[in-house]
Amino acid sequence: MNKRSLPLRALTLVAAALLGLWSFFPIYWMIVSSLRPERDLFAPPTLIPKTIDWKFSAYRNLLELTDYPVQFANSVVVALAVVVITLLISVVIAYVVTRYKVPGKTAIIGSMLYAYMFPPLLLAIPLLSIFARMGFSDHLIAVVFAHCTLSIPLGVWMLWGFFKAMPFDLEEAAMVDGCSRAGAFFRMVLPLSAPGIITVAIFSFLLSWTDYVFSFVLVNSDANKTLPVGLASVLGTFDARWGELMAGATLIALPLFIMFMFLSRYFIKGLAAGALKG
Amino acid sequence: MLSFRTNSDKFLLGAFIASVAITLLLILFPVVHAIQLSFYQSESFVSERTWIGAGNYLRVLQESGFWRAFGIGVTFSVLTIVLQVALGIGCALLLDQPFFGRPVIRGLAVLPYLLPTVVVAVAFQWLLDGSLGLFTIWAEELGLGRPAWFEDPVMAMVVVVIASVWTWTPFVTISFLAALQTIPKSLYEAARVDGAGSWNRFWHVTIPMLVPMLMVIVLLRSIWMFNKFDIIWLMTKGGPLSATEHLPVMAYRRAFMQYDVGGGAAVATLSFAVLSLLILVYFYFYPLDGKEGNK
Repeated sequence: MNKRSLPLRALTLVAAALLGLWSFFPIYWMIVSSLRPERDLFAPPTLIPKTIDWKFSAYRNLLELTDYPVQFANSVVVALAVVVITLLISVVIAYVVTRYKVPGKTAIIGSMLYAYMFPPLLLAIPLLSIFARMGFSDHLIAVVFAHCTLSIPLGVWMLWGFFKAMPFDLEEAAMVDGCSRAGAFFRMVLPLSAPGIITVAIFSFLLSWTDYVFSFVLVNSDANKTLPVGLASVLGTFDARWGELMAGATLIALPLFIMFMFLSRYFIKGLAAGALKG
Repeated sequence: MLSFRTNSDKFLLGAFIASVAITLLLILFPVVHAIQLSFYQSESFVSERTWIGAGNYLRVLQESGFWRAFGIGVTFSVLTIVLQVALGIGCALLLDQPFFGRPVIRGLAVLPYLLPTVVVAVAFQWLLDGSLGLFTIWAEELGLGRPAWFEDPVMAMVVVVIASVWTWTPFVTISFLAALQTIPKSLYEAARVDGAGSWNRFWHVTIPMLVPMLMVIVLLRSIWMFNKFDIIWLMTKGGPLSATEHLPVMAYRRAFMQYDVGGGAAVATLSFAVLSLLILVYFYFYPLDGKEGNK
């Protein structure tokens, strides 16, 4: 493989550079645009900015003049709640289904996979109707539940594959050595399945953090919006405030990029498992 | 395989039943409710409902708009899936090669997939802005004039397709990269011993080994691309003149803008019925108790 000819290697490098450019250019342009001083935004753009606005005016305007900080907090709270609920429920379901005699286990797993392919609007329309009647319209709780309709099936599906592949002998050995069933679970199963659990946590976070549809449908007031919906409404109200829009977009993307830097192998694992809605 | 005997088993059984019940309630209830809503007429989400049987379905199916939206959805899905799969396989084959800086390029290649759809929509709208967008200005400098990206029906479809391909191709790339890495090296060795050149090894070993993944990917991507609401809604709102209005946008418009909840639910249920066919095909080819099986 290493004996490939020089032209072929050069071609590979060119193709790789093109792929990098294609993937990164819109992101680069978004970040650069958020950092340019406002007067430059209306001048013919240059690929490398002539001046950088070190006062971060676009970010300041966004954070000081809009509900963006509240919406950031909303997104964090909703995503964390979704992660916790998803982990609790999906670990229990996936573990019991792979380890115990449960009637209809294939039906349970099958319906999870089925559910995770539902059209979001098929769920969003009735959810609004249900939450509106329960008095939870325009409420973050409704958004958390809505995100769980996607993240729990995803979590069960991923962990099912994970627990299935984990040898049963380990727990048995622990129990022979005098561990209780619960002890074996907490001392052997949970630590060993940490990679799977981290992957599920990341993907349910990602699902909630990036969701537009459910929050858009279920929440109306600016103070209850999550970041993606907040940004989309900035697009509506601040006509042509592109600097602020790009700052807002960068602020949503940044936490994901930072997570990716540290946890990329879990991201890749989850993606390779074919496991994210989208 | 265990059965529920000890106390901690029983505790776990209780937790399991509760978890399944919560999940069923969360998922089944809305779906049943959506189907129920599709048989009623109501002015809003909280008003009184009147049972009209199949009325919403008959009304929706008789509209030319429904079939048009269906066709637009199919067009959008087919275009995005073909491009994603072709580009994704190409990128996977590329990233499977050793080259200088590969980890960086691999990381960059995944980034678009992590972005929330709203960020993608906003970034592309900025690149394509009518007066200040970088791509608009470049097009003008190339002598193409100022393209009316979002005013021309064909162009608007092209734009949403490109933005979708940009963000969702990494999913295909990573999946195929994983599939490539599971191909046993011994197969290549055997082919080499048999005198197969690199082209023949690619054609007779790599390609056949990728076919199962290709099937899964095409099915999954079809299900998701047909469902996609946010990218189209955020970029074009289904316009210009409903040129990009597919079934999800149509369902949204009905339920949330025209306050025709029953009609919206009927459109959503119909698109769900179409999808269910695809999902059943998926289950047919990849049964849960198949080869891998439940132990």
